[in-house]
Amino acid sequence: MLQYSYRPQFPPTLRTRTDADQSWIDYLPITERPPLVWPGNARLAVMVCPNVLYYELMPPPDPWINPWARMMPDVMMYGRQEFGSRVGFWRLIDILDKHALPCTAVLNVAALAKFPEICSAVVDRKWDLLGHGMYNTRFICGMSRQDERAYYLDMLRITRELTGIEMKGMGGPGPQAATENTPDLLAETGFLYYADFFHDDQPFPVRVTSGKLISMPYSVEVNDVPILSTAYEGDAFVDIVRRQFDRLYAEGGRVMCITVHPAVIGQAQRAKYVDLALQYVKSFPDVWFATGREIAEHYMAHGYDAVVERLKTWRGAPR
Amino acid sequence: MSEHDRVYHKDSVIVHRPPLAWPDGHRAAFAVVVCAEYYEMQPPADAFVPPNVPGGFGRAPYPDVRAFSQREYGNRVGIFRVMQALDAQQIRATAAVDAYIATNYPYLTEQFRKRNWEIAGHGYSLTQVISNKMSEEQERTYIRTCLDAVERAFGVRPRGWHGPEYGESERTPALLAEFGVQYVLDWPNDEQPYLMRTPSGPLVSVPMALELDDVTIHYHRRIGLARWRQAVAEALDQLLADGAAGGRHLVLALHPWLIGQPHRIGYLEDVLADARRRSGLWIATAGEIASFYAQQQKSAAS
Repeated sequence: MLQYSYRPQFPPTLRTRTDADQSWIDYLPITERPPLVWPGNARLAVMVCPNVLYYELMPPPDPWINPWARMMPDVMMYGRQEFGSRVGFWRLIDILDKHALPCTAVLNVAALAKFPEICSAVVDRKWDLLGHGMYNTRFICGMSRQDERAYYLDMLRITRELTGIEMKGMGGPGPQAATENTPDLLAETGFLYYADFFHDDQPFPVRVTSGKLISMPYSVEVNDVPILSTAYEGDAFVDIVRRQFDRLYAEGGRVMCITVHPAVIGQAQRAKYVDLALQYVKSFPDVWFATGREIAEHYMAHGYDAVVERLKTWRGAPR
Repeated sequence: MSEHDRVYHKDSVIVHRPPLAWPDGHRAAFAVVVCAEYYEMQPPADAFVPPNVPGGFGRAPYPDVRAFSQREYGNRVGIFRVMQALDAQQIRATAAVDAYIATNYPYLTEQFRKRNWEIAGHGYSLTQVISNKMSEEQERTYIRTCLDAVERAFGVRPRGWHGPEYGESERTPALLAEFGVQYVLDWPNDEQPYLMRTPSGPLVSVPMALELDDVTIHYHRRIGLARWRQAVAEALDQLLADGAAGGRHLVLALHPWLIGQPHRIGYLEDVLADARRRSGLWIATAGEIASFYAQQQKSAAS
């Protein structure tokens, strides 16, 4: 499955930060943090993230990333993705409905207008929306500060107009979707959480110039795309979900994110495995099934300050 | 050009379509496409070959006898095992035949004719793939060359088309319709056929199951074939279950150089036997699926 690639030679992107100040997220090992308590003293917060994506057959050229690495158009790879909106989403949503879990759609905003039936399905079910840029074939990498700011404002406005929902999360589209300005701009434009740092089991404050932003543990591990792009099939997905859940549940005070893509896990030979995986996580008591926004709001109210306070006195950060 | 014009078909949601009823109350259809294709040791300098075409150890300088011969194994040996496996289950397949094979492999084309297999055009050769790099004139010549060569070999014009490596330009569906092709297999985006509307008239798209294609699952993803056999069975289970609310299909693409290896063919035999023993499954050809669908659409419209 050859989809994205980086151009063999791409222009440099803006870099003004040094290694020291580019660490937007302070280093505070998980063992040194104040305890994080979930509502109702739940052991674990579980966030289920179905992706709602819009791939273009002929996207505009990008100097850094080639959205269709094999060829363009690539009707094979495009068709594979398009399967998600035509068939896979509808198979997946039956399973999600059956388990009645709060979901957080990872959303290319342009998909709302492109697929009105999907838009209604998401709104009817009151899913939270984690913005994933406009298209999965256009990228943020290399954007100017001004353009990037306007881009987030457009995402928020279009989403508000088409769904009435105030989007609070963002993770960039495609394989690399950030600039140096991304966290500052997200905080500035009203986002609460940023889902592109994969380096934690808990939310964590992101250092921004104004406002407050946290990172949300989105997963590229418990995620059908990387699992099912390689030598694993649906049974491996279930095994990974179970093992991840068992360990995090035992440890407590963490977030488990389960990411699924209708085009991938919605295929006929795989859908039953999402069902099995969700059946497993639903069989335990004391689990907080929550949306990204709920987790972020809880963390802002009950976790953020204690960590900031702890950072003032903790002396183990790398120099 | 808008995105809609580019893709020739509607953003249609399967749960909002009128239920599709296969003949005799079947809940799902199953068809096999066997690719009979030629890997040139040295394609023309301007030919487009996608970067991840399997064979040999990547594309090497001429004469890359390894890449050539790994693929050519299919035409010399593997395809006969595949034919045997299909014969054993009395499954009539669609051979996707490229112009090179149609012109230069009379023994193979004779085998397909003897079995009364359906024939689809499969481009010129595996190493000359349709893409936007072709001019319209080049593409027209390319498609015509293939259709003519296949017609010469089989005495009938192919009704179906499968581009090598699922390759198309933005024009391909329109050009295929213009040449009288009735169905295309290159868009793996659905579990039902659907209508493409091109400036030269309609074309039925019969999506294949890309991720059950032997090359995708086994060569690219390195999934063992025991797991493939299980995945095809799981897909049939699901499609037959979903088929109660409107028919679905599974069109399986096979590449004899890969699946025709002695250690792999047994898995194909199992897959075909499983398909054969299932009730509610219409064992058809891709062309029969396309014709049945086109006929149904016509009756619905009138």
